[in-house]
Amino acid sequence: MLSVKNIVKQYATHRALDDVSLEVERGKIFGLLGPNGAGKTSLIRIITQITAPDSGEVFFNGERLNTKHISQIGYLPEERGLYKKMEIGEQVLYLSKLKGLDSAEATKRIRYWFEKLEMKDWWNKKVEDLSKGMQQKVQFVATVLHQPELIILDEPFSGFDPVNADIIKNEILELNRNGATFIFSTHRMESVEELCDNIALINKSHKILDGTVDEIKASYRSNTYWVEYEGNYHATNNDIYQVLQTENVKANTLVKLQLKENRTANEALSLLLPHVNIHRLDEVIPTMNDIFIEKVKGQIHE
Amino acid sequence: MNKILLIIQREYFSRVKKKSFIVMTFLTPLLIAGVYAIIGYFTYKGIKDTHDTVAVVSTNKTLTEKLQTDKNIEYAYIDKSLDEAKKSIGKADYDYILYLPEFTLDAPKGVELFGTKQAGMSLNRRISGDIEELIKTQKLKESGISQSDLDKLKTVVDISTKKIAETGAEEESSAGASTFIAFTAGILMFMFIMLYGIQVMRGVIEEKTSRIIEVMISSVKPFQLMMGKIIGIALVGLTQFMLWIVLTLAISTAAVSFLVNKNDVKEMAAAQAESQVTTASPQMAAATAQAGPIGDIQKSLAGLDVGKIVSVFIFFFLGGYLFYSALYAAIGSAVDSETETQQFMMPVMMPLLLGYALSLSVVANDPYGSTAFWLSMIPFTSPIAMVVRIPYGVPTWELALSMAILVLGFLGTVWVAGRIYRVGILMYGKKTTFKEMFKWFTYKN
Repeated sequence: MLSVKNIVKQYATHRALDDVSLEVERGKIFGLLGPNGAGKTSLIRIITQITAPDSGEVFFNGERLNTKHISQIGYLPEERGLYKKMEIGEQVLYLSKLKGLDSAEATKRIRYWFEKLEMKDWWNKKVEDLSKGMQQKVQFVATVLHQPELIILDEPFSGFDPVNADIIKNEILELNRNGATFIFSTHRMESVEELCDNIALINKSHKILDGTVDEIKASYRSNTYWVEYEGNYHATNNDIYQVLQTENVKANTLVKLQLKENRTANEALSLLLPHVNIHRLDEVIPTMNDIFIEKVKGQIHE
Repeated sequence: MNKILLIIQREYFSRVKKKSFIVMTFLTPLLIAGVYAIIGYFTYKGIKDTHDTVAVVSTNKTLTEKLQTDKNIEYAYIDKSLDEAKKSIGKADYDYILYLPEFTLDAPKGVELFGTKQAGMSLNRRISGDIEELIKTQKLKESGISQSDLDKLKTVVDISTKKIAETGAEEESSAGASTFIAFTAGILMFMFIMLYGIQVMRGVIEEKTSRIIEVMISSVKPFQLMMGKIIGIALVGLTQFMLWIVLTLAISTAAVSFLVNKNDVKEMAAAQAESQVTTASPQMAAATAQAGPIGDIQKSLAGLDVGKIVSVFIFFFLGGYLFYSALYAAIGSAVDSETETQQFMMPVMMPLLLGYALSLSVVANDPYGSTAFWLSMIPFTSPIAMVVRIPYGVPTWELALSMAILVLGFLGTVWVAGRIYRVGILMYGKKTTFKEMFKWFTYKN
């Protein structure tokens, strides 16, 4: 539903985005990852039409991005903010009217959401009287109230306690089931693995990786396994595997094996079985965190 | 367009509903009226209530006439030597001793005033005036002119100034009333532009520091947000201005009808009648002087085109406000907090202050001079200069030209400010310089 094509954005002395392209499919949760200053916010600002790219194009549902699309996009910036002196209800109403909702409809939806997120009594409260987590909730409601097709969340869980983070996560998943597409910009990799279908990794103004989370993880598999066994046996290198690490855990032994090319875990096990009592075999799958760090660090060394 | 309306609405109502706005709007005219009432009351009371007793010790043989006692001052001629009088000053029922030594009428010297307390300015002036009057009467008497002859010499001339308008019609006008209105309008204009310009700046800074700006401009264009804010606050200003006019009129009408009660009117009429036939005593002179400007203003208010003055004021307020508030918005967008605004405020404040100072001095003194003309053409100073000039009358073509230049001027500042604003509002944590602002201005989008 959203395609970003060859975006270049140049600020006075530095290039924030250099030939960045990506595709966000309808109904997916898309993770936009990258270290601080990589260009994520610049890209989001282009998608939300806060700024325009120097070159390149963005298409929304096949149409060139234009002002009509503003009402179809919801944006929760990383730096949250509300008018401090304004009452919550009035404030959310104002923000949703700016997105094109009429008063009656907006009021109805605000009541629905306030009920749902247990903030019924907040209507007449002022923002400055709310805790930071409460303000985040208000802002989340303001972001999704106009039922945008595309919801862009920049670090959505920062500032939430675990309970509220969980509530918000479930709301996100529910909205997603009802058809909303999400773009997540975050450094928190555990939430990426939990929620995202696809990701793109941006570093130093370039996109350096993209694809589905499963594919990416699969491509980073290194045929490495943890094997835990009982028995007095010292595993050594052979032509099936190489022993990377050996540890003793209580009475058991834990070894990390890397299979040689075209060897399978079964072959490794059949070598071990005569000597020991196998308790566990786990494939070592890199986490998104590992991949993130590896890719970003790799680039620094280049 | 609809979005600008929404923004205007919010900016307007969030301010008008504030307690401070309501309090300020209703209190300011009361305060102004109150301050004037207090000044007026005490001045009046001061004149009315003072009563000093002066013992006169005269060794002067040439002065046969005596100082006249009246309500405020009592002259008691005593037959004591100066030293005796001085000794008894604490116990006796007089506050001051006036010593009149021997002198020639042409060079009265050596007059002294003693008192247990320092005599005030007004008493001093009063006594010396009385002595001068006394000497004058003495001299006249010596030249053989009687008091009645003297009264016949006294005539009152009242110049009524009339201005010939472009149409050839003669308009009643008054330099006094024009000056009064010019000053009031000039001061109000300066206050309004500054107060509301700074409100725009504060509003922008508030949006920036509370970080709502990013949410806002993902819904509306920065230019819409800026204009919405500027227009919303302009309406707040107009509302306040209108309320002030209504309230001031109401309060001053009430005050006048309360203060000038029947007795006063009778007294005043009597005083005026009296002053025409007898020598005006000092209080009466004061009374007529007080009645003077009021009557003057009332008379020439009829002559002045109040409708024109008010509408010109509103036009130049809006124009000047738009001109400056756009600059204030640009400043607000460039900084992270109000404390950083100093360096940018200076260049914006300077022309406004200069316009204010020059308008109330040079322009008010010579409303048709070339300084007045140029100040009322340059959009940086024209809002103040023009409202100062307008009560004196300004040729239509000058007014039209000045208005046109001001409109072009604010279109210009709004355009420049808009370009700085759209970049500035997203910049955080950097100390902004003028060079940087210029760079923002040249950014493509």
